[in-house]
Amino acid sequence: MNEHEYVSMNEWLDWTRAKAIVAGVDVGAVSSKAVILLDRQLYAFSQVKTRMPKESAFKAINAVLAKTHLKLENIHYIVGTGCGSMQVTFASKRVTEIACGAAGAVHIWGPSVHTVLDAGGQSCKVIHCTEKGRATDFLWNDKCAVGIGRSLETFADLVKKEVTEIGRIALQSDSFPKISDFCVVYTQSEALDLIRSKVPLEQVIAAYHYAMAKRISILVGRSGLKKDFAIIGGVAKNPGIIGWLESHLKVNRLPPKPEWDPLFTTALGAALFADAFYRWQ
Amino acid sequence: MNKGKILAGLDLGHVNTKVIIIREQEILGYVTVPTGFDVVAAAQTALNNALDNVGISCSELAGIVATGIFRDMIKGPPLNITRTIPEYVADAKGALFLNKNSRTVIDIGGNIQKAVSYDQDGNLLDVIQNDKCADGLGIFYTTMAKAFGVNEQGLSELALKSTKHVSVAIHCAASAESEAIDLMCQGIDIADVADALTRFIVERVAAMCITMPLEPEIVVAGGLAKSKALIKYFPVLLKQDVSVLNLPEYLGAIGAVMSYDGGK
Repeated sequence: MNEHEYVSMNEWLDWTRAKAIVAGVDVGAVSSKAVILLDRQLYAFSQVKTRMPKESAFKAINAVLAKTHLKLENIHYIVGTGCGSMQVTFASKRVTEIACGAAGAVHIWGPSVHTVLDAGGQSCKVIHCTEKGRATDFLWNDKCAVGIGRSLETFADLVKKEVTEIGRIALQSDSFPKISDFCVVYTQSEALDLIRSKVPLEQVIAAYHYAMAKRISILVGRSGLKKDFAIIGGVAKNPGIIGWLESHLKVNRLPPKPEWDPLFTTALGAALFADAFYRWQ
Repeated sequence: MNKGKILAGLDLGHVNTKVIIIREQEILGYVTVPTGFDVVAAAQTALNNALDNVGISCSELAGIVATGIFRDMIKGPPLNITRTIPEYVADAKGALFLNKNSRTVIDIGGNIQKAVSYDQDGNLLDVIQNDKCADGLGIFYTTMAKAFGVNEQGLSELALKSTKHVSVAIHCAASAESEAIDLMCQGIDIADVADALTRFIVERVAAMCITMPLEPEIVVAGGLAKSKALIKYFPVLLKQDVSVLNLPEYLGAIGAVMSYDGGK
């Protein structure tokens, strides 16, 4: 099991006693996630790397099924979401990742959330929502900011660090050279040039995160930010991006809840939709 | 002019450092190592490995000529570089050595694509290089291979199996990756997506070449030239025949040796 393959469950719950067993499956560009809820309580979740979207959807759900000894037919309702939602062939319904992200974030942080930044592997979007978690407006990244999550992975690879540690390193330097923040490809290429000209690695990593956070802050600024502000998606786990983003925006995000991994927020939202659809039936 | 002399050519690229050892017109050996972040170390490793392979010592070298984007970073000690030359010059000289009838070379490397045209003596006539949004197509090719869980050769083989024509529209590599993922999310076969991506790269190169008349014979070199899936689109999109040079990734290194001027 590495960072990309992960499954976990709540041993205290017993699915045989649950009235509503529902699942949300979020097939993202970089990873696919599945969440199972028992009567709206978190039961199990899994994460796998997305290769072929269809297979990855099955891999994600099969991982939680294996862990919990549930069978697919035991689940009352499944909602698919994410850019590969069309490939969640076993889902009863599809809901957009915008609606799921808002629903999931409000479930985690409560009704005070009004702006959600979903920073994922391939796309980055800002979602505005009501206190009930209904999305009212959203702004998608423009093309030059595509793939920020993926490029963080690539960058970590290039500097021979784990994607989980570069964010912390980025906060260790106070002064560092500024690099271009318009295009993610150019930010990376300029960062690599700095390394070759012998700028200390921590400074380069800081410069890179600073530029990436700037890129995201432009997007958030353009959509207008209404408090409270929550960040979801894999990039939410990178303290470097978050730290610089908060300083660019001069707004702090709601601190992450220890019991919720922000990566699963959209899958959680999908599962909440599944729960609601099941009850309406 | 370089009678009996043994020369080394170094090509310090964005992704790989290439070394070739040549005696007069005869290629004795060659080595590729990743450039990484320590350019001098990469150059030294590559040179030492190549010399070991050939079985000669550094002192037997009459000269070392360097080219490539990072050539100026290795000028000082410990390497004893005789001369550095621009990539364009090296491309022209190298292509002419490998194919004496060639007049245009298209070099598709890790980070930069360029086309160079020259006369029968290897004098440059015209040069064109990609615009910034087409940067990094070689690295992009490797990234996509990784995303598909195959290597570069595997991506080419996959693309050749394509049966359906799909395409990615945007001209930047980052957006093309995003579009590729969208296509896969629509359930399009992975081979067709691989084919679309390789065609995308050639489309970018062809677009770059529009403003420059390409004199025949046209030859293709650089690391990406090893992809058969990619090369098959060149005649279609350029509407001209092309051939792939021998040792395509060593074009620059060979050209560097051919530019040796006796250490003047």
